[in-house]
Amino acid sequence: MDDQLASRIEVKALTLSYGNDVVLDALSLPIPKGQITVLAGPNGCGKSTLLRAIRRLHAPQSGQVLLDAEDISKLNGKALGRKIGLLAQSPSAPQDMTVEELVRLGRYPHQAMLQPWSPGDDAAVAAAMAGTGVDTMKHRRIGSLSGGQLQRAWIAMVLAQETDTICLDEPVNHLDMAHQLDCLELVTKLNKEQGRTIVLVLHDLNLAARYADQLVFVAGGKVRERGAPEAMMRADLIAEVFSVNAEIITDPVHQRPICIPHRRA
Amino acid sequence: MTAIAATYDRGARVSLAKGWIYAGLVVAMGITMLMSLTLGYKVYSLGEVWAALTANDGSETATVIAGLRLPRALIAPLAGAALGMAGVLVQTLSRNRIASPDTLGLNAGASLAVVLATVVFGVQSLVGLSLAAATGALLTSVVVFGVAAGAGGLSPLKIVLVGVTFASLAHAVVEIILTSNEAQLQQLLFWLSGAFVDRPISLFYNGLPVVLVGAALAFVLSVALDAMQADDSTAASLGVPLVAVRGLAFLAVSLLTGAAVSMAGPVAFVGLVVPHIARRLVGLRHRHQLAAAALSGAIYATLADVAARFVIYPVEAPVGAITAVVGAVALLVLLMRRLA
Repeated sequence: MDDQLASRIEVKALTLSYGNDVVLDALSLPIPKGQITVLAGPNGCGKSTLLRAIRRLHAPQSGQVLLDAEDISKLNGKALGRKIGLLAQSPSAPQDMTVEELVRLGRYPHQAMLQPWSPGDDAAVAAAMAGTGVDTMKHRRIGSLSGGQLQRAWIAMVLAQETDTICLDEPVNHLDMAHQLDCLELVTKLNKEQGRTIVLVLHDLNLAARYADQLVFVAGGKVRERGAPEAMMRADLIAEVFSVNAEIITDPVHQRPICIPHRRA
Repeated sequence: MTAIAATYDRGARVSLAKGWIYAGLVVAMGITMLMSLTLGYKVYSLGEVWAALTANDGSETATVIAGLRLPRALIAPLAGAALGMAGVLVQTLSRNRIASPDTLGLNAGASLAVVLATVVFGVQSLVGLSLAAATGALLTSVVVFGVAAGAGGLSPLKIVLVGVTFASLAHAVVEIILTSNEAQLQQLLFWLSGAFVDRPISLFYNGLPVVLVGAALAFVLSVALDAMQADDSTAASLGVPLVAVRGLAFLAVSLLTGAAVSMAGPVAFVGLVVPHIARRLVGLRHRHQLAAAALSGAIYATLADVAARFVIYPVEAPVGAITAVVGAVALLVLLMRRLA
């Protein structure tokens, strides 16, 4: 991917609340371009909300999200849809929609009202389906897919958006171990081969440590600490953020830190 | 290169298939309209129909064809097309395959508005009554979605429950008004019977522009509606302005439903059945869903109108009863599938 297309996102003192509940409290976070940033933290810490705020699905009370030093609240919806893609948590579409019809939805931000579907749209859809391996099932209805296939079809939909930043909210939630790896390897491939900036919310700390370039612990609506997984996977920090006493060892295969939880702290 | 050629071939075949489907639908619509002109208590030949339409000689045959058969041969397909498109829109907006202008109470709301406009405000003009019907449909959609949302979320079944409840309420109010306004009973029953028979042709000319505006609006929104088949988060992250698209789409639904009700009264369940046929034929993209629903809605309504002339021959059955029976069966099947 063209380097100039890659954008840098910076979250600046973002405060966001639902009613009286402050979910994000003056949270600041740089998201380096071309890297995989993983947001982790206990339930209700605000990590999903942060991800959604990065795509402007929630309006903040104060603070900004900057994209290439420009406040995203000044961009229109379609323009932002060409820059940041988001795969929501448990997305849904009609069961009788075909894989190809689903992936085509990703072209929405590239289409103008009444403008006909272009060869460029076709190429993007084909590339997205090929890149995720769903091209062989493009005429199948999504209701007939397995969980892993369905998730790949959804990722293809986001890929067809051709954004240089892709946010995925708990993409491996309902997948078995093999498909969790499939999904995250696919995401890593998009990052390494196409230079796309990836922001993930993951619950599994060991998967987070394995795939993250930047690991971010969110707690109490703030960034508690961020850094390389090796620096972040410390017993004291995990005890504080996740309320779990854990031992950290190094994965002998990937040389990444792994956390072995003992008991609640 | 081979791969590109293969992809191209597949794409071409698909569009060719759609072309044939549309051609077939247009031909079928033409045939049903000819059936509507020729078949009935008395069967006329195509020659008699042609003669009556090109040169009305004042004979009984010409009067029946031009004055009675022609209006219903035009109004039935137009109302069917409008309800078919309205059904597609409503099913997408509520993400609910058992939604329709009927199950959301829009037909009933439009009927109530027509009755109120006549009895309370003394509206007589066709334009005024059409406006009342569209306004009634629009207000009903606001009320039904408002109540369903207030009751905690827009779940498919909840919307339909609220819609059906509102429809019974509207029917009850209509009954009360009619019982206490016997003078206007005859004229209003004309609206409320849900039929294409005995409609003046002016209703067609009056309804046509409203349907065209509603259809144009729907087609302009079609790409956004495609994206809105996914959940709100996904649609919003693609850049769909959800509130604006919903608002405009409901305006289109109201125009289409209002036009259909102003022409034919509440013809039951056309908007429920037709979108299912359309999606089977052309898939889920709205450009195609809407076009196929318009054509198959026209065919369905016209066929039902022709069937109404023969099911209890020589007496004519109300067409609304026929579409209600077909629609009720379809609704039961869909409900059982949903619950299974």
